[in-house]
Amino acid sequence: MNFTPRRLYIFTGKGGVGKTTLSKAFVRYLTEHDHEAVYLTFRNQAIGHSHKGNEDLLKNGIREITLDLEESAKGYIEKKLNSKIIGSWIVKTPFFKALINMVPGFSYLIFLGKVLEMGKENPRLIVVLDAPASGHALTMVESTSNFQSIFESGTVFEDTGKMLARLNDPEYTKIHVVSLPSMMSWQEAIELKSGLKERTPVEVDITVNNCLYSLVQDNVNALPTGLRDKALNEKQLIDSHQNEMRCILPHSLANNPLDMEMDLVGSLSKLI
Amino acid sequence: MSLEIKSFEIFCGTGGVGKTTLAASRALQLSQKGLRVLLITIDPAKRLKDLLGLGGDAVGVVTKVELEGISLDALLMSPEKTIQRMASQFHTPDLALNRIVQILSRPYGGMNEILSLVEVEMQFESGKYDVVVLDTPPGSHFLDFLEGLDKIKSFFDQSFVEIFNYLGKKTANAGKKVFGLGLVNRFLSSGLKKLLSYLQGVTGAAFIDDFIQAVHIIYQSKDAFLKGLALQDKLKSREQCNWFLVTSVEQGKAQEAIELKSHASHFIHQDHYLVLNKCLEQEMESWVPTDVKLMALKESLSGREKKLKENLRQNFPVVLEFPEVISLSPSDHIEKLTQKWNSYAP
Repeated sequence: MNFTPRRLYIFTGKGGVGKTTLSKAFVRYLTEHDHEAVYLTFRNQAIGHSHKGNEDLLKNGIREITLDLEESAKGYIEKKLNSKIIGSWIVKTPFFKALINMVPGFSYLIFLGKVLEMGKENPRLIVVLDAPASGHALTMVESTSNFQSIFESGTVFEDTGKMLARLNDPEYTKIHVVSLPSMMSWQEAIELKSGLKERTPVEVDITVNNCLYSLVQDNVNALPTGLRDKALNEKQLIDSHQNEMRCILPHSLANNPLDMEMDLVGSLSKLI
Repeated sequence: MSLEIKSFEIFCGTGGVGKTTLAASRALQLSQKGLRVLLITIDPAKRLKDLLGLGGDAVGVVTKVELEGISLDALLMSPEKTIQRMASQFHTPDLALNRIVQILSRPYGGMNEILSLVEVEMQFESGKYDVVVLDTPPGSHFLDFLEGLDKIKSFFDQSFVEIFNYLGKKTANAGKKVFGLGLVNRFLSSGLKKLLSYLQGVTGAAFIDDFIQAVHIIYQSKDAFLKGLALQDKLKSREQCNWFLVTSVEQGKAQEAIELKSHASHFIHQDHYLVLNKCLEQEMESWVPTDVKLMALKESLSGREKKLKENLRQNFPVVLEFPEVISLSPSDHIEKLTQKWNSYAP
């Protein structure tokens, strides 16, 4: 199959909608189509707490990277000031700890900077980012422009400017909001999508995951009342909003995350 | 089992488990008992916002809500409004005017957790409420929320603050930005001096100026922030706080609830309850599917739920089960869940 994927895919949505499984399945999908893709997530721990460092592992056939805040911050400052000693000293000062811990948006800035740097170092790499849930996804997307207005000038200002250009480039970045097929979850997804659209011009699509109706549509009436109503509510939601749904994924009968990923891989071509 | 009435009830857990609806139904149940209740919520979906009457002008303002014929107070957190209340209550008008503080207290500026702590404390101190029910930000952000207390402490760490307070005074007195390396040289310990000169190289001098002004202004309002620390002891105290860790069958994530508990182990005392939402067990028991695919579905759904419950019961002293409410109307959800609360705490 021929397709040119974007360089950065951000999966977001409320907790528990299956972002992690879906992001990993998407990495598998890209890998199966001969792309070099990596699953990436943040460990957003307060600086000064015990930390494990960045991780870069091959798990069940896909590359999984976990970025650690302290290590990423250190790396950034080291690079800017050309000194490892100064970098590790700065992140340990109370001033810096206070700044990072008090202003969580700053940590997203550091993480996103690192993600874009990886993309620059390896022009073939596709990063699939398992991003923080809802409100915090907005914090993340907003952090770059907030810090643009905070800094006004200087190296960080220039760097965030470059980051904004990448993040806001529809050829480079695409955002997937993941939702469950319930009215409540759907409305939250719609709100999140419009929140994101206010902040970035890149494409934002909604994927509906874990859909019971898609699995049992032939024998909905054989379900017990509660489940039947649930499936029918899902159907009603899908019927009235199908145009706004990029992809509808059925409920998986698998009983562990890896098998669920495998279940999903075949249905993800629309997410490119 | 009986649920005692405490001054604070904290609902936490990953997003999408029905935390806000559970918190709202608990707040309603407590109000039905005749208690004066304030429900503070972070960012519910629009339908729930509508139900609670928290849309538009009501954001950040305590609002009277009518639910099932009972009225209670509800507040949708707005960091900006909290900052304004702090500025007025502690007579530090600059706090609401500083450019950096304003940017950081935008709805998604990142100060939500810390400011919700301050808000809870201010509301409780007002003496208007018997119980404050707090619906926390989702997931690991609940940890940020807890750590928020330590962050406040570290932000006001004396060694750090005195220097900035002093510098801030100099800056404020001069009425313009006079801060630069010259001043640093005169007044600062060599460590901080070096740090600032390096930071200046990265961030530009204007930011350092503005940031110090912001720190100074925040420091002037430190009493308000430090009040958040007083809350820490109350939340830790078994007499004053009930903790509800919420998860749902739909998510099947026992591990996350267990991790939340272990992360927060120095906060959470014996009176904590695991709330398992969206249980299908009753529904499944009476269902005898004949179709192969449906048998597989029943097997998968019941199996997951059973495994989840076993796992949770091993890790939590009390598991409160709430059924999955199938209805498109949020008020049905609140009504059904309130009934369930009544069965646990009549």
